[in-house]
Amino acid sequence: MEVKILSARFHLKNSNTLKVAKKHGAYKTLDKLFATPAEDVIDEVKRSGLRGRGGAGFPAGVKWGFLPKNTGKPVYLAVNSDESEPATFKDRYILVKDPHLLIEGIIICAYAIGCHDTYIYIRGEYTTQVKVLQAALDEAYAAGYLGDKVAGQDYRLDVTVHRGAGAYVCGEETALLESIEGKKGQPRSKPPFPAVAGLYGCPTIINNVQTIASLPFILDKGADAYKAYGTEKSPGTHLFGISGHVEKPGMYELPLGLPLLEVINKVAGGVWKGRKLKGIIPGGSSTPVLLPEEAADTTLDYESMAAHKTMFGSGGIVVLDETVDIVQLVKNLIDFYHHESCGQCTPCREGLGWMLKIVKKILRREGTMEDVFLLRELCDNIEMKTVCVLSAACTMPVRSYLDKFRHEFEAYVAEAATAPACQ
Amino acid sequence: MADKITLFVNGVEVEVESGKNLIDAVAAAGIEIPHLCYHPALGADGNCRMCLVGIEDGRPPLVPACKTPAQAGMKVLLDAAHIKKIQHDVMEFELINHPIDCPICDQAGECKLQDYYMTYHGQPSRMTVPQVQKDKKLDFGCGVVHDQERCVTCGRCVRFCRQITKTGELGIVNRSDQARVTIFPGRPLNNRYALNVVDLCPVGAMTSRDFRFQQRVWFLKKSPGICHGCSKGCNIVIDHHREKYADDRIYRFRPRHNPQVNGYFICDEGRLSYKRENEGRLTAARLGGQPVALADALAACHDELQRTEKVVVLLSPNLSLEQMLAAREWAARHGATLSGYSDGYLKPGDGDGYLIQDDKSANRAGLLLLGIDCRRETFLAALAEAELLINCDNELERSIPAEELQPLLKGTRTILATSHDSPSASTAEIAVPVASFSEYDGAVVNCDGILQYFRKAVGKNEPLPDMADFIAALDGTAADRAGLFTALAALIPALAGQSADTVPAQGLKLNENEAAHVSA
Repeated sequence: MEVKILSARFHLKNSNTLKVAKKHGAYKTLDKLFATPAEDVIDEVKRSGLRGRGGAGFPAGVKWGFLPKNTGKPVYLAVNSDESEPATFKDRYILVKDPHLLIEGIIICAYAIGCHDTYIYIRGEYTTQVKVLQAALDEAYAAGYLGDKVAGQDYRLDVTVHRGAGAYVCGEETALLESIEGKKGQPRSKPPFPAVAGLYGCPTIINNVQTIASLPFILDKGADAYKAYGTEKSPGTHLFGISGHVEKPGMYELPLGLPLLEVINKVAGGVWKGRKLKGIIPGGSSTPVLLPEEAADTTLDYESMAAHKTMFGSGGIVVLDETVDIVQLVKNLIDFYHHESCGQCTPCREGLGWMLKIVKKILRREGTMEDVFLLRELCDNIEMKTVCVLSAACTMPVRSYLDKFRHEFEAYVAEAATAPACQ
Repeated sequence: MADKITLFVNGVEVEVESGKNLIDAVAAAGIEIPHLCYHPALGADGNCRMCLVGIEDGRPPLVPACKTPAQAGMKVLLDAAHIKKIQHDVMEFELINHPIDCPICDQAGECKLQDYYMTYHGQPSRMTVPQVQKDKKLDFGCGVVHDQERCVTCGRCVRFCRQITKTGELGIVNRSDQARVTIFPGRPLNNRYALNVVDLCPVGAMTSRDFRFQQRVWFLKKSPGICHGCSKGCNIVIDHHREKYADDRIYRFRPRHNPQVNGYFICDEGRLSYKRENEGRLTAARLGGQPVALADALAACHDELQRTEKVVVLLSPNLSLEQMLAAREWAARHGATLSGYSDGYLKPGDGDGYLIQDDKSANRAGLLLLGIDCRRETFLAALAEAELLINCDNELERSIPAEELQPLLKGTRTILATSHDSPSASTAEIAVPVASFSEYDGAVVNCDGILQYFRKAVGKNEPLPDMADFIAALDGTAADRAGLFTALAALIPALAGQSADTVPAQGLKLNENEAAHVSA
């Protein structure tokens, strides 16, 4: 089932070096790129149906089309490498295993949107990745792929790596821009959207690492070759990070549209230790959980996930076996999002902390059914009332656990009711 | 005048000004959209989420009103169930970690949390888990005391220091419910407008060290006034109260919005100048340094004038136009020399180009307007010949040091009419107490040529005479205030046809020629 498009060079020794990457095809699309008008590049990407790989799945070519023309302001490209969503570990492979694929993609995207200054916003905790990436950028500059004359053409492109300081919310595109500008990483209200007023108030495109890394293949082989993979509405391939209770956890490149359970069983070796499946988190911790019976007819694409009232997300699949304590899981989940709330909007700032304390109370076996109902109500009261979707990233999955595993919460409450009073 | 557009609020057609955000636009039509973080002087931030409104057929259907420009035909939903639910929920979130220590909080009575709780929430707390604990009574400098637990992190104070004073002392550190307003270690508030954050704070998180625990705000009578601290003439609210068995006393000055003069703010010096209205006042007349009844002092003035030929009348640049005119007319009648010499009220270099002015007097423009000579030479020449100096509250020692002043005053007797006690009040032959600016009506002209009329705010148990009353009393008559205003209106074309009641609240801009001089 696995395919090798993004990961074609991952297995090579020293694949991160220019020498090896170039020998195996890196930068070979640049001649074709500069011979193609920028509009045609955008059209080709639109035609490929490439969707943003950061989680929302917005078509990349369409996003580029939102850039206003002739504003007299520079256009910026910000590459989102703040991969911080729990259970997501796909971009880090590209950064370490094939940084030149990313750089080539940046050149393609920058040329298409008319950008001369690109920022790669990289997660602060990615210390190895930032070193490898910077080394690759230095090599690309030395070899003339970046700088005043990209690949000998009259086109300047500078790429700057900006390290984050460890905030999940900076993966939100406008918080990312604030952070690059040197401010506290807090999402901006939209509108205006970054395509109109982004970095330093200039038109800005923000794309995920994997989105950008998909571009060389599309330009090289054409949109149709890309669409040969995946489904009609979710074309192409995706790096899936499969973790949790499976025999063979890891990162796998797969075309979209494969049956979820088949992937778990055949690619990742099935639920470990012969245990039963309890649930699957399909695309990073912020996506609502799927029960085994729901997972049975779910396929790995945006449409199927939406039909099951969850999201494709970042492709970080977490398999939960029968031993998982859902209430503990929910506590960990809320703990994370509470810790990462930027503290700007009232519902998220105050509400997530309240939810965390309620779950902890339930776990201490001091909770009542009122607490469970309150928890469920708070999900509704917080969600979508805020500037960004961080609060929803917490409340959507929590709501799914509360609805699908209510009996586990009730069991804790029942224990509380029968337990002797705490001294 | 901005264009008018029509939009719908809860299905009712409302005409509003275009180019404003929804909060301001519909507020002008008397419809309140609750908000904590938005302030017209600081712009929209959109963090409190209290102003979320529905837009029918809109994309997105839910928007923060503070960030949404009013557009023609817009269908705004305010009383829909889902919007009311949001307001209710946001209030619940604001309050779960709030200490609700209203009984000991200075903000109680003028607190947005209290008001909005009553209007939009009104339910008992559902919080059964421990609250977040933060720091209390932090000294932020400049007399600002901060309570992080009461704070709703709306960031108004932070934005004020960044956008208005551009000093940036405050910031919000930490994330989630640990977010809190603070200063950099060892770098307290250090600007001359810092106390405005106390007014800006919608809750009791920012309190003024000066006002803390002094008075419950619902007892305070809020009277409009004009600050006399400098020539800007900032509009203020005079908060005063008469405790049982005590005298009417001012507790604080607060800024009053006037887009033509001071906007939304005042400086700290002006704000704290209220103390001068309460303290150090001359309350009893003095004759040769000894307290006497006011009538006796006035009789002594009368005698003094009977046997004197050469009189100089010196005016304070803080007097109202009416008082100045009364003095001008008296001097003309009695052949006295009139001077407004008051160079000492100028503090060159102290102004900041914003509100604070070099000229620390409220009505120097009024002296010029009435053509009153303010030159040092003419005053000193007149003084050298004068037998009697009638000093109308001019703090002469500000302009001439005491050791130089003493020989100059040799051979000249002094009648001092003053609102405040000073060494001069003891050395003057006759000292008469008069009302200070919070205790009379009058008009002043500010540094930008804007004439503002203010009303008596404070009513003392034993009212002191207005300066115009004192001047009239020199002739044994009573001041005709209405007559004085009519006389002013005759002198100043911009005032033609106006009465004290019709002078606009934002002041009357005198034209260039007028402000320069009015013929005597």
